Amino acid sequence: MDTMFLKAALAVYFVSVLGYVTSIYVRRVMVAKVSTWIFFLAFLCHTISFIFRYLETGHTPVISIYETLSFFAWAMAGVYLAFQPKTKTRVLGAFVSPVTFLLMIAASKGLEGYVSIPEVLKSNLVPLHVILSVTGEALFALASFAGAMYLIQEGLIKNKKVSGFSRMLPSLSDLDRINHFCLMWGFPLLTLGVLVGSLWARTAWGSHWQWDPKQVWTLVAWVFYALLLHQRLAIGWKGHKAAFLSLLAFAILLVSLVAINLFFVTAHSFI
Amino acid sequence: MNIILIGMNHKTAPLEIRERLSLTCGNDANHLAEIMKFPEIQEVLYLATCNRVEVLANAVDTAGAVEKLRAFIFHHGNLSAEEMARCLYLHYDDEAVRHLFRVASSIDSMVMGEPQILGQVKDAYRTAVEHNTTGVILNRVLHHAFRVAKRVRTETGIAHNAVSVSFAAVELAKKIFGSLEGKTILLIGAGEMSELAARHLLNQGVRKILIANRTYARALQMAENFHGTATDFDTLAEKLRDVDIVISSTGAPGYVITPPMIEAAIRRRKNRLLFLIDIAVPRDIDPAVNEIDNVYLYNIDNLQDIVDTNVKSRQREAEKAEAIIDDEVGKYHEWFNTLEVVPTIISLREKMEGIVKSELVKSGSWMQNLNEEEKKNIEILAGSIINKILHDPITGLKEESRENGALPYIAALRRLFGLDDV
Repeated sequence: MDTMFLKAALAVYFVSVLGYVTSIYVRRVMVAKVSTWIFFLAFLCHTISFIFRYLETGHTPVISIYETLSFFAWAMAGVYLAFQPKTKTRVLGAFVSPVTFLLMIAASKGLEGYVSIPEVLKSNLVPLHVILSVTGEALFALASFAGAMYLIQEGLIKNKKVSGFSRMLPSLSDLDRINHFCLMWGFPLLTLGVLVGSLWARTAWGSHWQWDPKQVWTLVAWVFYALLLHQRLAIGWKGHKAAFLSLLAFAILLVSLVAINLFFVTAHSFI
Repeated sequence: MNIILIGMNHKTAPLEIRERLSLTCGNDANHLAEIMKFPEIQEVLYLATCNRVEVLANAVDTAGAVEKLRAFIFHHGNLSAEEMARCLYLHYDDEAVRHLFRVASSIDSMVMGEPQILGQVKDAYRTAVEHNTTGVILNRVLHHAFRVAKRVRTETGIAHNAVSVSFAAVELAKKIFGSLEGKTILLIGAGEMSELAARHLLNQGVRKILIANRTYARALQMAENFHGTATDFDTLAEKLRDVDIVISSTGAPGYVITPPMIEAAIRRRKNRLLFLIDIAVPRDIDPAVNEIDNVYLYNIDNLQDIVDTNVKSRQREAEKAEAIIDDEVGKYHEWFNTLEVVPTIISLREKMEGIVKSELVKSGSWMQNLNEEEKKNIEILAGSIINKILHDPITGLKEESRENGALPYIAALRRLFGLDDV
């Protein structure tokens, strides 16, 4: 049942990607509006698939790497949809929907059939750790999308190329606000996620901190985010520099999320 | 169809001729009464704006009506025969309808896509309705024109994107700040264009306006006009700390605003975005300030370039609008053709028979207890009720059509029985 809904979600996400891309191409708000509803429908299918998976497997489905990818996609889509009515930045969907879709493709590769969970992960702290960290990371992903769009829009305005693509993009202030909001919420969530993870590590590995490559990279990214938040809140950074730094910090976070599991030996890889 | 449109606009007639005609006629209703006195004309609409004078009429006798209308314009406009030939255009039937649709959709306007013309057409129509000079045909044409104008507005980009320098400045400000609610402007120097831009910005919710001028008295006077605050020219650098948008148009030979001033201000204002508009020639603001983070500088040429691009894009959108209008003229034509007696009678009958058929289907459940003959009798009864009901209206229509006055009856009948699916 859960895979059926997951496949449905995947298909509907794909339709919404097509919709968003078309909306940019034909420059009609109506198309983007419809795409947003389709995206919402996909999100609902996705949510249902989570519920079924929870009921069928008996564990919170955020344990295996594939489940985590799916949850990442879900959290990002959810946060975007929650924002959408307030910020009216449908064009952000053209960034979010393809990424969600790609994450879902990756996730769907390993979500069929039953996964046996190692004894060590059978702790309530593990799902909590994943949910907090991944939601924080999803918010950071959105912050970086808003940052990227900010840099594009700013470049166009600075260079007086405001008649074309610039019309599709939200105003600088709106993008900066989204970036700011996502950082404000992403940072405490990731911080809590790491803390919960280290509590669990104490019970599983015997110490809170391992200096594992994944931990180290995450720490580096965390420091960058801390710096960015400090500059924003204390120094009053806005706009260009903040957008740029949020992109850089996310690039580092991506290394920890993706590259480490592929190229390094890490104690933080389970299933 | 006996629709005539005669008129002149900014493309065909110079201002002095247009104003002669619109001055004498004004936009009051006297001329409507005057035109209605012509026996050749049944319905009339008169539209006069700064850019056009148009008379739309439904005639009994087209040739006679045109002659009378020409004489009317000749008389009021004081035109020579040569001027008349050069300035006036004349359209019939579908082409007259098309012209009206184009006017209402603002394709025929001097600034293509400007929104006022639709309101002016509506006003002219209201005047005509108040004086009872429109009937079945013109009412339909005008309502159709309003629908077409709306469709063109929503389906094409003809009204998108600023086509004046001051509106281009407003659009840029929105691109930077999103909403302009609660923002503050600093207006340096005076000038028509900068003041216009300031007014547009104020209309968009800008909260506060500061005005600086070399002569403080002038600043005070402008401040009064704008309900703003006059400020000392020497404290400009300080003021840059608190404002969001600066519009500069002084006659100063050198730069009034320099990079060090902006850099200092940006630090003090905690990096809040700053939008600078330099309308002065020679320029007031050192172009190097555009390099500073979170500062956006546009000069008059930059704004003019935007306007030029936007004008071109409106022209492209106008092509889409023409296609819509083609389509709608076709629809109008179709409707007009239904205003014949015979098709109306046929569709009235079809409607009635349709109702009987569907009611018989609905009653099928209880009628199954009846035998075939009883069912047949019920159908015959229903059929003869239709015939009796329709007998008088159909006879009446046929009689009216022999006397050429059937049009209003047909239109009313179609409307009351819902025979047009529009």
